[in-house]
Amino acid sequence: MKKVCKFLLKVLGKLTVIGLVTFAVTFTIYMTNAENKLIYYVVRPFLNKHYDSQVRDRRIV
Amino acid sequence: MKDLKHLIYFENLLQNAQNELVDQAKAAGQHALGYNCYYVPEVLLNLPGCFSSRLRAPRCTSTDIAGYYMTNRSCPYARSLLERAIEGGYNYLDALLGAESCATMDRMEEHFFLLNPVKNDKFFVTQLDPPMKGDNINLEYYKVQLRVKVLEPLRDKLGVDISDEAIRQAVEKHNRLCRVITEIGKLRKLDNPPITGYEFHVIQLVSQVCPHDLILPYLEETLDELKTREPEPKFPFRARVVVAGSEIDDPDFTKLIETCGAMVVADRYCFGSFPSREEIEIYANESAFDAICRHYLHWNQCARFMDGGKIDQRTSEVRRLYDEFKADGIIYENMKFCEFWSYEKVLKSHIFINEQHIPTCTIEKEYALGAVGQLRTRFQAFIESLEIKQIQGGK
Amino acid sequence: MKLLDKMIAPVDKALERFDPLWQAEHGVGGLRSRYYDKTGVAKWREWRGVKSTLVDYVAWINNLLAMAQMVASAPVPILKGFWEYRWMGSYLGTFMFIDRLFEGFRGPELKIAHMNMHAIVQSLTKKIAFGLKNDGRLGGGPDTENIIPYDETISPLFLMGFKGLYPFPMQTLPEFIICDIDQHIEPYYIDVAESFGLPADVCSRCAAETGVALDDAFLKVGKVMLSTNMPCNASEATSMFQRRRIDKPDFPITLAMQHQAPEAIPYSRATLEAAIAFVEEHYGVKYDWDEFAKYARLLNEQNNIELEKWEIFKTPYSALCGIAETLYRLYEWQSVNGQESHFNKNDRKVIKLMRKCYEQKHEPFGGKTRHRAFLWGPSAVYYCDFPTWVQNCWGINIVLNMDSTMGFNMIDTEDRDKGMDDLTALTQRATMRHHAVGGWENVNAVWEWAKRFNCDMVLMNDNIACNGMLGVHGMMEEQARDLGFHFIFIEHDLQDSRTVSRQDMRNCVNNYMSVVLGEKPLDPTLVEFDDSDAY
Repeated sequence: MKKVCKFLLKVLGKLTVIGLVTFAVTFTIYMTNAENKLIYYVVRPFLNKHYDSQVRDRRIV
Repeated sequence: MKDLKHLIYFENLLQNAQNELVDQAKAAGQHALGYNCYYVPEVLLNLPGCFSSRLRAPRCTSTDIAGYYMTNRSCPYARSLLERAIEGGYNYLDALLGAESCATMDRMEEHFFLLNPVKNDKFFVTQLDPPMKGDNINLEYYKVQLRVKVLEPLRDKLGVDISDEAIRQAVEKHNRLCRVITEIGKLRKLDNPPITGYEFHVIQLVSQVCPHDLILPYLEETLDELKTREPEPKFPFRARVVVAGSEIDDPDFTKLIETCGAMVVADRYCFGSFPSREEIEIYANESAFDAICRHYLHWNQCARFMDGGKIDQRTSEVRRLYDEFKADGIIYENMKFCEFWSYEKVLKSHIFINEQHIPTCTIEKEYALGAVGQLRTRFQAFIESLEIKQIQGGK
Repeated sequence: MKLLDKMIAPVDKALERFDPLWQAEHGVGGLRSRYYDKTGVAKWREWRGVKSTLVDYVAWINNLLAMAQMVASAPVPILKGFWEYRWMGSYLGTFMFIDRLFEGFRGPELKIAHMNMHAIVQSLTKKIAFGLKNDGRLGGGPDTENIIPYDETISPLFLMGFKGLYPFPMQTLPEFIICDIDQHIEPYYIDVAESFGLPADVCSRCAAETGVALDDAFLKVGKVMLSTNMPCNASEATSMFQRRRIDKPDFPITLAMQHQAPEAIPYSRATLEAAIAFVEEHYGVKYDWDEFAKYARLLNEQNNIELEKWEIFKTPYSALCGIAETLYRLYEWQSVNGQESHFNKNDRKVIKLMRKCYEQKHEPFGGKTRHRAFLWGPSAVYYCDFPTWVQNCWGINIVLNMDSTMGFNMIDTEDRDKGMDDLTALTQRATMRHHAVGGWENVNAVWEWAKRFNCDMVLMNDNIACNGMLGVHGMMEEQARDLGFHFIFIEHDLQDSRTVSRQDMRNCVNNYMSVVLGEKPLDPTLVEFDDSDAY
């Protein structure tokens, strides 16, 4: 019984740590607006370069 | 060629919406019924005791007041009509039978009941909700619309006889006029026609803006005159073109093209004779009213029709005119801010140039022809290209 | 809860100087201070106090999860979609878009706004995944042939009577919603259309649709195309191009323009019935009224709740307002239209919260509202957060938007004949066409609406290429003067931000508020700023 409790506490503890770390990481990304900066300054310029080089089947019919 | 006997008289009739023939008909107690779109069958406005008057705003130089109401970013034709109405140019009208053929037209017509610019106590406005497809569902809707928005108001407000007999009588008279105009128009098919596109434009316009009873004798005399008129010894133009597109009620536009060297042999635009001068056939077991609805829905070439059948009909009709009138090219025009014809001209010029290999030029125009330098350059370049093609044997 | 509030209070107090609303009030900054110039990229996210920041953070996580779910449900098609379609790249701007929309929101209005937004995100991500998974261009999928592509301005409820088929709004993904998110995407497609000779003075929305068609950027799905005459001339005209490029049997659903007239219903109903027969013929599926009725009941519930919301909107205590109301109602009505039951769940939760706020006499935006405005006319798609800006800058609360007044009649789900008439009436009252065209009474209805919702101001969107609205300019001015409303025309070019920029739009309001009303802005950092490079 004691062992089970200890194991559960350990799992709970680990989950709490994981939760806290996840929160810390995601909240930091959130607060610093990091994902939008990445998208605006890195991802979209890369994609736009690709789109601009596309040969599209551009016609009326 | 010798001048046509009545040409100057016709030109004068086009100087004002309220011309001398309109005054004569009014003095005789006839009701003047204004309209501005093919969707409103001209023939129904020529029932006994009435005459049709397709609205124009000739010599309109500024649309300041209408611009305040509708902004300067809206169709100049609609704006010019409103301006002319506010100036008092349509006080002879007893009714405006309008149609929501496009949003701007609808708005312009609304001002006729919001501002009451027409100083005539009897005056009223109705607005049709015109169909957008050529199928039976839309035919039935068209019938309902014409009954509710045209026939019944004419009967209830002006006491007009709308019986089948009266409508048949109107059809008969209408067909007589159509036969004359069509016969005159057919002369343009000749290799060296005894009529110019400009002259025909003037003739077609007077037939739309004057009371039919009063203008018909002049038109019949003109037809007789044309039958014996000697053309120029040699075809005086360098090319023949079909003009297709939105509203043109200024014959000077046709003159502009012709002074650039191309004869306008067919007129497929609003106010043109294709469509408008086809005879109405009444089938057995069909009421005259039903025949009119069927006829107008079938012949209507408006760019707002959305179904494949009508879209293709628009192409084939222009193609038919191109072939029958032995044209060398097509000019697609649209009135500035006209969305329907803006789209139509892009698509159709593509079809004609790339799929049917017919030289086609597209232009955008104002209602009042002011500075025409750019247009002249476009036409000259196009006509030159047609000429070069002819010299190269169509290659 | 009160204890928690007490615990949070000192933290909020200590950090209040980071709150842009506090900064604006104390003259040391404002909502615009945290942005890099021009870009619309914030240096950090808005500090809204502990509780509201956490609400915003949780909403961000939820939306992130919805997007992860979307990618997980169809990873290869989604990646291929990003590679194939320029408009897909713009969806990466979604987070920035949501941040923009709810700037300055706090407390219940923020919570409700995010509830509504999350419903949209869930719906849209599923739609993107489903569309790309079945896109013939990317290899197709199990439902490619079971999709009914239709013009996005048709209300799709009637198509729910086809069990096993999936109505799909063709223009929504590449043209409409994406222009809300990224102001730079549609000019590309407009340029494509204009490169074929289309004049620049036609409605930019329709020009963009034409451009998408010519650029071959529509998904390839379904066996037919249902086009429509709604809402206006240019959309009718652009259908010609889409019809040719999409190259499938098409059926134009042309409904009566003058739909208030008694003769409209029989015609429009016959057209809808013909459209149903057309789909039956091409897909070999029989129409099932009971199946339709299931979804009609969902829409009835949504509309019922909407009508209750309207009663609260009439008071100063509505926690749902501005863009949170406008965008949600537009999406829920036009795109969802009874098809997705999670919107009903969301509506039930939202109305509960709204009732509570009403009972507590909660005034949104800290009671800083100075004017209650009705937003009329087709709104600028590229400036979706305009209602947020007018609230934050000038204290003008957009109580209701024109598009929110779309079909709200109930559909009889028992009596099929009556139900068809109800459905027809509802379908006719779709986005824009119910107001901007079809006769004077439709557009002139604004004053009655504004009066009913206790508004002192009407903001009139002035799409510079909308023929229906341009034709009423003078009359609207005169009506406003006669009826005593504050009235501002806000010029815009619907989907082309190059013609009339967001700042040009803001200037229309700035000039009226400062010159005519002589008022001072709530947040001076918002009066003039450059966001020309922002999404």
